[in-house]
Amino acid sequence: MKNRIIMFWGIVVLVLISLVLILTKPTKLGLDLVGGSRLVLEAQTTNSIAKITPDMMDSLMFAIENRVNKLGVAETVVQRSGENRLVVEIPDVSDLEQAKAFIGDTAELEFKAPKGDAEYTTEWVSTGLTGKDLSKANLSTNASNGQWVVDLEFNATGTRKFAKLTRELVGKPMAIFFNGELQSAPVIREPIMEGRAQISGGDNGFQYEEAKKMVDLLNAGALPVPAKIIEENTVGPTLGADSIAKSRIAGIIGLGLVMLFMIVYYRVPGIIADLALCIYGLILFAIFKTIPVTMTLAGIAGFILSIGMAVDANILIFERTKEELRAGRTLFTAINTGFDRAFTSIFDSNMTTIITCVILYCLGTSIVKGFALTLALGVVVSMFSAITVTKNFMLLIFGTKSLTNPALFGLRTDEIGQGYQVTETKKENAKFGIID
Amino acid sequence: MKLDIVKFRFWCLALSALLLLPGIVGMLYSTVVTPTHTPLRVGIDYTGGTTLQYGVKKDITNDKIAELRNNLENAGIENPLIQIINVNVAKDNTDLKSMISIRTKFIDSKSDTQQKITQTIQKNYPNAELVQVSSVGPTVGKELFKNSLIALTLALLGIICYLTIRFQFDYALAAILGLVHDVVFVCGVFALMGIFYGVEIDALFVTAILTVIGFSVHDTIVVFDRIRENLRYYAKKMSFSEIINYSINQTLTRSINTSLTTLITLFALYFFGGVTTKDFVLAMILGIAIGTYSSIFFCSVLIDIWKDKDNQTHKPTPSVQPAV
Repeated sequence: MKNRIIMFWGIVVLVLISLVLILTKPTKLGLDLVGGSRLVLEAQTTNSIAKITPDMMDSLMFAIENRVNKLGVAETVVQRSGENRLVVEIPDVSDLEQAKAFIGDTAELEFKAPKGDAEYTTEWVSTGLTGKDLSKANLSTNASNGQWVVDLEFNATGTRKFAKLTRELVGKPMAIFFNGELQSAPVIREPIMEGRAQISGGDNGFQYEEAKKMVDLLNAGALPVPAKIIEENTVGPTLGADSIAKSRIAGIIGLGLVMLFMIVYYRVPGIIADLALCIYGLILFAIFKTIPVTMTLAGIAGFILSIGMAVDANILIFERTKEELRAGRTLFTAINTGFDRAFTSIFDSNMTTIITCVILYCLGTSIVKGFALTLALGVVVSMFSAITVTKNFMLLIFGTKSLTNPALFGLRTDEIGQGYQVTETKKENAKFGIID
Repeated sequence: MKLDIVKFRFWCLALSALLLLPGIVGMLYSTVVTPTHTPLRVGIDYTGGTTLQYGVKKDITNDKIAELRNNLENAGIENPLIQIINVNVAKDNTDLKSMISIRTKFIDSKSDTQQKITQTIQKNYPNAELVQVSSVGPTVGKELFKNSLIALTLALLGIICYLTIRFQFDYALAAILGLVHDVVFVCGVFALMGIFYGVEIDALFVTAILTVIGFSVHDTIVVFDRIRENLRYYAKKMSFSEIINYSINQTLTRSINTSLTTLITLFALYFFGGVTTKDFVLAMILGIAIGTYSSIFFCSVLIDIWKDKDNQTHKPTPSVQPAV
């Protein structure tokens, strides 16, 4: 009895902690609930880049992060996924088209030297000097003709490379390519040592927007490898709000009906099961908020399914307890044997669910992952709540007395003790839960 | 209530066959007829493509689809697949009534196809709001399909191993056949829905199938656990068939009640939940209903039949069996 009271207070403390966690921590809602955009970018191999290395992915991620941050939206996420992919999540983006164009656009700046010695050439070779060697780009105007130009400032290595290159190219043109397009090809008059260069838009000059975009892209960090959006999932805030409102209603109705069913069918144990279910919900929700698990539609579905499994554990236990009562055992023995016997079924069945969840979590896509995580956590917590909460409350309420009113368990008086003929267990043994 | 499953075991198998047959025919038909040659109509998650969904604040009837398609084709969109989805009327803060879902080939982020579609839609429905965009590159679709199959195979292997350790290989095999039974049923129904209503499966469908697998095995194990326990106590007093019957009847109330409570929550999700998860929930409802059926009427019957065969081949004791 003393242990049970300690346990009871333990559960109370756990519930209080859960409540505090639920009230203080924010709920992390997935993009399909709040609205937002999820993009998957894949690094593309090119002629010069045959293989995507982890280093390249690191710098690509850095560059993409920079760009995403420039959008000025809070709580963006950039994550690695697999060998050559990045997942970008942007909540509440107002102009998605523009954002997408900005994130996915390459900013490949390359300085190329003429092939061969010809003065007028259309063939160019790479020099190894690229956008990576820049420290800064600025928008400015050409003093002589007032056209928009892009000023470039190299970093230390860039300055060295540029100095070497211009020294070799004196009297020859040097081409500047941006995203594979020739921008201008000025003829180098003398070596440039101070690490500055300028891109003019050729004879016609740049439009303001054109030059501005180039500067923004260059400053956000050139993508070390070209990246392409290969998957997109965008949910507008209206649909998100709709889903969340409806899931809430569905959850309340579903849970209410289940609780009602339990009380009608199982009577007093049903009330205990409902209480255990509420505690289960609180603990699980607190865990979701602490980890934190991002709630998505699939995650909510997993959560609701786990409620079904939590109820199942209670049903298994009560059915077993009822059987033991029918077999003529005392209430205390019936509850204890009921739990012990039901436990193997609960354990084995839940283990298979967990195995499936683990495999799903390891191999699944992000939607499937969210589902697997909530379901697995739900199953684990449901086992805990069935074994500790339900059992403890049952023993606290019924433990010491004998069952005077079978209706409390939803049994008829004449059902009690009829089991002897069926199980052929001796009455003396049955009292102690022994079956021969 | 007392069910004599073992007596009617061949009828049980016949009923299972009857339940599965239409779906299997549907899947075969679909494999031959659909352009993707898959047993089920697959969505962009597997084929690659872009789906745009527009929320509209008034009811749209299906006869508007032809007009929309014409407009879109005139705007240069090839083969758009258009569906009208009716949104549940629930008390909430939005007043979306219908959704227009348009599926096209994969739209590259650099092309202006998306704007073109939006403009075309807004010509007919000025208030239409782009509420959802999903786009999957062609290679990603194939990968997802492959990964789904790998996940499925591994999940099955995991379950077989666990059950062989905890029970016996016989039981593991019966449980696996039971879940194949359930999965084929659900897939069959969706194949038929694909043929008659154009329902497509997406990434969430795989999740639903995996849940069905989990639940199906969950249900079967509870029955098997009872058989295992009863065998320990009554093996000498009762025949194997009697024990199976006895165990099924003992767990019957539990099986029904558990399915009932899970189905209650799922039905609540189906009728009151968001429109995007409807098919997902439907797949789980079907799976859980059939899972309960198969754990009672299919898996246990299999075990019984196998045990009978075993006894006939291994123990031909003429002294017990009367000579024919």
